[in-house]
Amino acid sequence: VTALLQHVLLAGLWGGLLALERRAFLQAMFSRPLVAATVTGMLLGDPSSGLFVGLVLELFFLGTVSLGGAAQELDTLPAVAAAAFAASLQHQSGVHGTPAVWALALLLCAPLSRVGRSFERRLDVRAQRYGDRARLFSNEGQLRRAVRQNLRAMWPHFVLFGLLCALSVLLGTLASPLFALLPLQLIRGLAWGYPALAAISAAVAVNASHARYALRYAAVSAALVLGITVAVLRLR
Amino acid sequence: VRLDPYTVLRVLWRSLFIQAGFNPEGLQNLGLVFALYPALQRLYPEGEALNAAVRRHLATFNTHPYVAAGIVGGILFYEERIARGEEPTEKVVQFKASLMGPLAALGDGFFWLSLRPAVGAFSVALVPLLGVWAVAVFLLLFNTVHLYARGRFFVLGYRHGGGLVEHLRSAQLPLWGERLRSVAAACAGGLVAWLALAFGQQEHGALGVVLVSACLAGGGLTYALLRRAVSPWALWYAGAALAIAAGALL
Repeated sequence: VTALLQHVLLAGLWGGLLALERRAFLQAMFSRPLVAATVTGMLLGDPSSGLFVGLVLELFFLGTVSLGGAAQELDTLPAVAAAAFAASLQHQSGVHGTPAVWALALLLCAPLSRVGRSFERRLDVRAQRYGDRARLFSNEGQLRRAVRQNLRAMWPHFVLFGLLCALSVLLGTLASPLFALLPLQLIRGLAWGYPALAAISAAVAVNASHARYALRYAAVSAALVLGITVAVLRLR
Repeated sequence: VRLDPYTVLRVLWRSLFIQAGFNPEGLQNLGLVFALYPALQRLYPEGEALNAAVRRHLATFNTHPYVAAGIVGGILFYEERIARGEEPTEKVVQFKASLMGPLAALGDGFFWLSLRPAVGAFSVALVPLLGVWAVAVFLLLFNTVHLYARGRFFVLGYRHGGGLVEHLRSAQLPLWGERLRSVAAACAGGLVAWLALAFGQQEHGALGVVLVSACLAGGGLTYALLRRAVSPWALWYAGAALAIAAGALL
């Protein structure tokens, strides 16, 4: 129970900080899936699960972009949730981070990006009150209070996304015993699911790159990797 | 009237919070006023002038958060002149209004649509070699460019005001953007091949070949379907379902 509580608190704090970094301060890409998931995995004692879950989500959401302030799919939330879910499974069931666990975590948590976007839209609408207050205070000559509204507006993001990330660890832990009940065949199937998800995500990334000769670059690069790897394996 | 370096640095630091108070009507206006406030306090010690300055920057403002540093620097350039009585207040309003749109497009095109995908795909492609350290490479590469650009834009804006545009033009960001997008595509393609081989090796005999071929063909097919505007979500779940069924039955 103590370990669970510790994990829930850590994930909540990390999720809240990521929401601040992504939205309010710096935008230094700590909230990108690759970073967010790997650090979540580290915090919960399973960095490799975080890394491999984050890798797929990074590729899948590579082209996600907020243009002109429009709400985009919130890729951070599924990254933290999937890494937390995979790490919780490892802790609870003793199943070490495997492609089957990663695939299950990805399939269950990826749609959270839309849930996150919906919450973010609501927070945006709610943020109008800070804009209105700032105008009101400036009209009254209370300039410091008007200026401070900028910082006040960021805390709801911290609280909400912190809670969502904490909840995902809790749900992952509660759901982990179910993994042991899955038939062996399905687990084997899920193990095939991971490279398939990665391949599809990479294709999504190639498309989202918007490079003029995207397919050509991707095909040449894939052929090179295949050729070099096969040559090295034969030499060995 | 001239701002001291400490105040200028405070404005730069506070400009990192430009999106904190993002709201539907004013967009980044709260962040802009928050960033400028220490400078406005210095430039307009009297209450009414300060009040007017805050109110003129509470108007709707929206641009790319990194490139915003250039506009914030440019506003300081004009506000110093306005405080000295060398320019009318309309000048700074005009500067903001004319630059925020084009600079947003420039920032979105370079940072969001080129640099981030390129560094992301490159770092992901390094995972087989570096493991968890690929994450550090991602942060280091991206933020070296990002923080340098923010600082540089701010300095250019503060030194040159509207002349910032000429300097940005000479940086040829769209050209670099096109190159970076090619890097993203190449890295993603290479990674598919590596993942297919790595996971194919874990299977025995013909099954390994099936898995490698399926991953490569699946990647190609996904790309073709995406070009025909099929939803990536539909492809993701359909592909996973097929792979799970194949893995379970073969």
